[in-house]
Amino acid sequence: MKTMSTLDFEHVSPGQALPSLSKQVTVEQIRQYAEASGDRNPIHLDETFARSAGLPGVIAHGMLTMAFANQMVTDWLGDRSMLKRLQGRFAGMVVPGDGVTCSGTVASKDDATRRIVINLVVTNQRGEKVFNKGVAEAEFPSQKE
Amino acid sequence: MTDARWVGRSYETAPYQVTEKSIRDYMAAVGDERDGGDLMAPPTYAMVYGFDAFWQLWTDQEVALDVAHLVHGEQRFSFHRPVRPGDRIRTTGRLTAINTRGDMELVTFELRAVDDQDQPVSDGTALFIIRKP
Repeated sequence: MKTMSTLDFEHVSPGQALPSLSKQVTVEQIRQYAEASGDRNPIHLDETFARSAGLPGVIAHGMLTMAFANQMVTDWLGDRSMLKRLQGRFAGMVVPGDGVTCSGTVASKDDATRRIVINLVVTNQRGEKVFNKGVAEAEFPSQKE
Repeated sequence: MTDARWVGRSYETAPYQVTEKSIRDYMAAVGDERDGGDLMAPPTYAMVYGFDAFWQLWTDQEVALDVAHLVHGEQRFSFHRPVRPGDRIRTTGRLTAINTRGDMELVTFELRAVDDQDQPVSDGTALFIIRKP
């Protein structure tokens, strides 16, 4: 079991890049996500159905990609409860076999509210954006324990 | 084209009982398995406890969204507190807009999740894109 250590607000500065996070997406992971989330829409599970809907084949849930972006941010923060806001646009399809990489940069930092804003993007192995206009906002605890 | 008269229709989930297994299954599925000894769901787990609101919209025979051509276009979440095993969460989803952009239909669905004390857990906005066949 990995433990978490929380990031210090004082060590964060605008322009700073977050450690990137890469994931390989597989048919098995999409199935596992469908079971865990309850979202068994056949465009994620049934190759024939997906093709008949005009897709290249089964596609990953957009929310799986957003979960990767979430993980990149909370791995860096060290505490899931610090994440207050997460948003973005599912700009491209993710299909089994894709390798996606999440990147983030600190856009701003507010000392009064101890909040930071992070810009996020997820790209595939061809450098195409699959998640863009991504924004996360985190709040740091007011006092050190 | 979905009939605009359905704007304003809302759907409420039954209380979702958050369990350790449900959180761990989600963490394993997305590959985010860190656990600092105080098990807290990844914030995007909001999609798990809120999913039935989406499902009710997608399967509403009166609204009759063309779900075969529907994809998730955008998502926003605000998280008001962490979610742990033992929480019971109800989510209300409201269809708030139907717009067209070129040959696509854009459906906005706003989400509000509360706990057993009616305290806010998370809010969200989903934008669905329906490609015309």
